[in-house]
Amino acid sequence: MFDAFIDGLFLVLQWKAFALMLVGMGLGFCVGLLPGIGGAATLALMIPFVFKMNPAEAFAFLLGMHSVAATTGDITSILFGVPGEGLSAATVVDGYPMAKNGEAGRALGAALMSSLVGALIGALALALAIPIVRPLVLTFGSPELFMLSMIGIACITSLSGLSVRGQIRGFAMGLLGLLLSTIGQERQSGSLRFDMGLMYLWEGLDLVPVLVGIFAIPELVDLAVRGTSIAGDRPAENLSRGVMEGIKDTFRHFWLVFRCSAVGVFVGIMPGAGGGVAQWMAYAHAVQSAKDSKDRERFGKGDVRGVLGPGAANNSKEGGDLVPTIAFGVPGSGAMAILLGGFMIMGLVPGPDMLSKHLAVTYSMVWTLVIANIITVVLSLAVLNQLAKVTYIRGGLIIPFVLLLVFVGSYTANGHLADLIVTFCFGVLGYLMVLWGWPRPPLVLGLVLGKLVETYLFISVSRYGFAWLAHPLVLFLIALMAVVIVYPFVREKPAWAGGGE
Amino acid sequence: MKSKGHLYFSAFLLVISGYVIFTASRWSFKTGFFPLAAAIPLLVLVLIHLYLELFAPAEVSKGPAVEAEFSDEVAPDIARRRVITIFSWIAAFILFVYLIGFPLTVPLFIFCYLKFQSDVTWLSTITLTAISWGFFYTLFQRLVYIQFEAGVIPTWLGL
Repeated sequence: MFDAFIDGLFLVLQWKAFALMLVGMGLGFCVGLLPGIGGAATLALMIPFVFKMNPAEAFAFLLGMHSVAATTGDITSILFGVPGEGLSAATVVDGYPMAKNGEAGRALGAALMSSLVGALIGALALALAIPIVRPLVLTFGSPELFMLSMIGIACITSLSGLSVRGQIRGFAMGLLGLLLSTIGQERQSGSLRFDMGLMYLWEGLDLVPVLVGIFAIPELVDLAVRGTSIAGDRPAENLSRGVMEGIKDTFRHFWLVFRCSAVGVFVGIMPGAGGGVAQWMAYAHAVQSAKDSKDRERFGKGDVRGVLGPGAANNSKEGGDLVPTIAFGVPGSGAMAILLGGFMIMGLVPGPDMLSKHLAVTYSMVWTLVIANIITVVLSLAVLNQLAKVTYIRGGLIIPFVLLLVFVGSYTANGHLADLIVTFCFGVLGYLMVLWGWPRPPLVLGLVLGKLVETYLFISVSRYGFAWLAHPLVLFLIALMAVVIVYPFVREKPAWAGGGE
Repeated sequence: MKSKGHLYFSAFLLVISGYVIFTASRWSFKTGFFPLAAAIPLLVLVLIHLYLELFAPAEVSKGPAVEAEFSDEVAPDIARRRVITIFSWIAAFILFVYLIGFPLTVPLFIFCYLKFQSDVTWLSTITLTAISWGFFYTLFQRLVYIQFEAGVIPTWLGL
């Protein structure tokens, strides 16, 4: 096994594989910066180019590109409030306010370093999990996956205000998100729901236009209203010091970064959970880590922990995603489903062979994740100072270009004019929500998890009736969900006793 | 403003949940179960929220939601005017994409926004427009091959 581990490293370091990894990283860097064109779409575009490559070269190229896109997606999220990758929206919640507070350098430094740590933990998890993953994945059937999704929904408690009305507003938004997820064709019977007679809605609402609209448009409107640069009239940050501070933050809150990375790995391993879930669960966990209500109030207004958590989870998820893909041929996400196509082209069959005959290729993937992320972070750190200066350019010059990115990004979701209208509508909705104090993150969580919750619930009920509720692991997960719901209030108890609502 | 906004938004949610319950209750169990399972508690929560907003004492803010806030440095009437202006620009952008397609809208929008909204000099406006159009064309049309719709006017003209 150790020999295969070392052979994997040498496979990546061969000049051709290494050069292809660099090309992939360059593409991934650009793609990550552009909203809408996620890593999955680019993987699909690049699959035809791997026909003439050997497996190690192909995976160095594809994984190098994909892992870097996850890292650089955070850059536009922080600088402009526009989710670089559709699913990296959780970084916007605290990253962009940091940029507005004149701390863009610190936020970028924190995002990149936590991404690197997350990626390394994800790669380590992949390397360690390969021999032991089978029983873990097989233990999780639909009832357990349903309960996991419900734990994700329970995170709404942490993302909402802790007053009675705050909780009502948070859960109402979560339920609205669940309702939005029901738009389109129902998966079990094929019936259409709330499609308004539009074929565009048959597939349901695409996440990219919704997320970009709900997060980016309100920030653009605020920028236009202020009439200043993103960082406003604040004195220019000492960028080098800011970036360094962000890097130090990663190690100051290392335990949080580690836990959020673990969340990412775990969600990645669970087939079908999707990338957005990992980020939001990690974000909610970061909020839960606040010491008291005073500490908690800083989230959403520019707390570096709100950048560290999602940043780490976003990248550690990549390692986790690969585990079921390699071990069983069960893709953990859309991007991994496309990567499976790469396996087929290479003539590799995911499963036991990847853990025995082709173990060196499997470990070359681990090494690609490690090397690509290290190079990206080092290169990004070199240009961060220049990137962060963007937040000091007059808003009037930035707005048209960011609007262009927003709408081109949204359009790429389906290549349909309706994508732009959806973006606009959710932009208006997001603006009103911020204006009137209704939280957006629970809505996104509901929307991201809605389809999963419905699918797993139906499979569980169809397969087991209601007996699944008595499964030992389900009972454990119900208890865990109760802890997730109650925990913020328990931490908050002294404040509540002292005259809350 | 926020309190009034809470009422408006609650009313909006009331309409949505009412519509979903009305519609989904006529569907088969399989199709309607999940929307009903989300809409009924939503309706109940919104009614409680409305009751609290209308009849209970004002909320004491403890542990607010994790959410951004808009800046309040600009006078409300100026802010309102700027909000309408930017939303008009966005709506115009979408309208022009519909009429003349993405490739033509991009330079036109950038040019018009920089010149008429941001009051940038002619030279800078033209330079920035050319750069953005070049970036858009090279990346999205030449490298990534995204098929942009032509727009109704070029289609009508047979271009």
